[in-house]
Amino acid sequence: MISALVITHGDIGQELVKVVEMILGPTEGLEVLSNHGKSVPDLQADILGWLERSGPDGAVIMIDDCGGSCATTAQLACGDGSPVAILSGVNLAMLLGFVTWREATPFEELGRKLVQKSREAIIQIGGH
Amino acid sequence: MPVVLARVDDRLIHGQVTVGWSQQLNPDRILLANNAIAGDPWQCRVYGSSVPPHIQVTILSLSGAVLHLSQSEYLTEKTLLLTATVPEMMELARMGAPLSDINLGGLHFGPGKQEMLSQFYVDQADLSACARLLTAGHKLIAQMVPGGHKTVINQAQLSEMEDRM
Repeated sequence: MISALVITHGDIGQELVKVVEMILGPTEGLEVLSNHGKSVPDLQADILGWLERSGPDGAVIMIDDCGGSCATTAQLACGDGSPVAILSGVNLAMLLGFVTWREATPFEELGRKLVQKSREAIIQIGGH
Repeated sequence: MPVVLARVDDRLIHGQVTVGWSQQLNPDRILLANNAIAGDPWQCRVYGSSVPPHIQVTILSLSGAVLHLSQSEYLTEKTLLLTATVPEMMELARMGAPLSDINLGGLHFGPGKQEMLSQFYVDQADLSACARLLTAGHKLIAQMVPGGHKTVINQAQLSEMEDRM
C-alpha cells in the first residue's frame, strides 16, 4: 500500500486528516507532521524515520506551501533523485483523492492525478 | 543601503523571510551565506526554488558573500542577508560585511541549546558570537516577523544566560 506523510505549518495537517477520517473512516498509512517549533535537522530526522517505516509500494509527501521550510526540509530529507512524490498545496481534495485512489492507481500516475484533483477543487463558487 | 535585513534563521529561506519580511522590506535579492549549501548544487536548487520569482537569490560561501557585498554594482540593491547561525553572522561581520543591526529571527531547539527567550534557543557558541557582535557595535534584535514581539539583546542578558548554562 502506498503511504503518505502530510507536513504542514501548525496543525493544518492534523485537522485535514481528521476531516478525511470523518468522511472516509479510519485510514492507515497516512501520517502527519508539523514543523511547529522544530529545527530543520529535527524535522528532517522525523521525515527520515517515516521514510524507513513506509513500505516498498511507494511514498507520497504532501506539504502545505511550496516556498516554506516544510517543502525545503522534505526535499532535503528525501535527497536528490528520490522516488518519493512530493506535492505542495495539500488540501482536502488531494487527501480524499489519495485515500480513494492509492490502491488502484499506479504509483507513477498518482502524483499527477492528485495535483490535478486538488487544483480542480480551487474555484470561485460565488460572487462576481 | 546594501543590506536591509541581516537575519540569523536556522530555517534559512522560508515563509517568514520570503513573505513576512520581504513584503515589508521589498528586497531585490536574498543573499544566503552558507559554506555547505553553496558547495552543493542540488541544495542550492532546493533553496533557490523557495524564492518568489520577483526576488533574485544568490547562495554563496561566507567569504563569497562578503566579496559580493563589497562590489559596487550591488551597493544600490536592497539585499536581505541570511545565515543559519549567529557564529556565521559574526564571521561575516568580522570579515568586513557592511552590517548594522542583526535580526535574530529563527534559533530553534537543538543539541546543547537552552531557551533564552520564548522559542529562542542558544548554546555557548551563540552567546560568544552575540557578545562579539555587541562589542563590535551591532544591535541584536530578537524578532521572528515584522510587527511581532521584539527584544533588544544586551550584554547583561547574555551574561545572565551564560550563568544559567
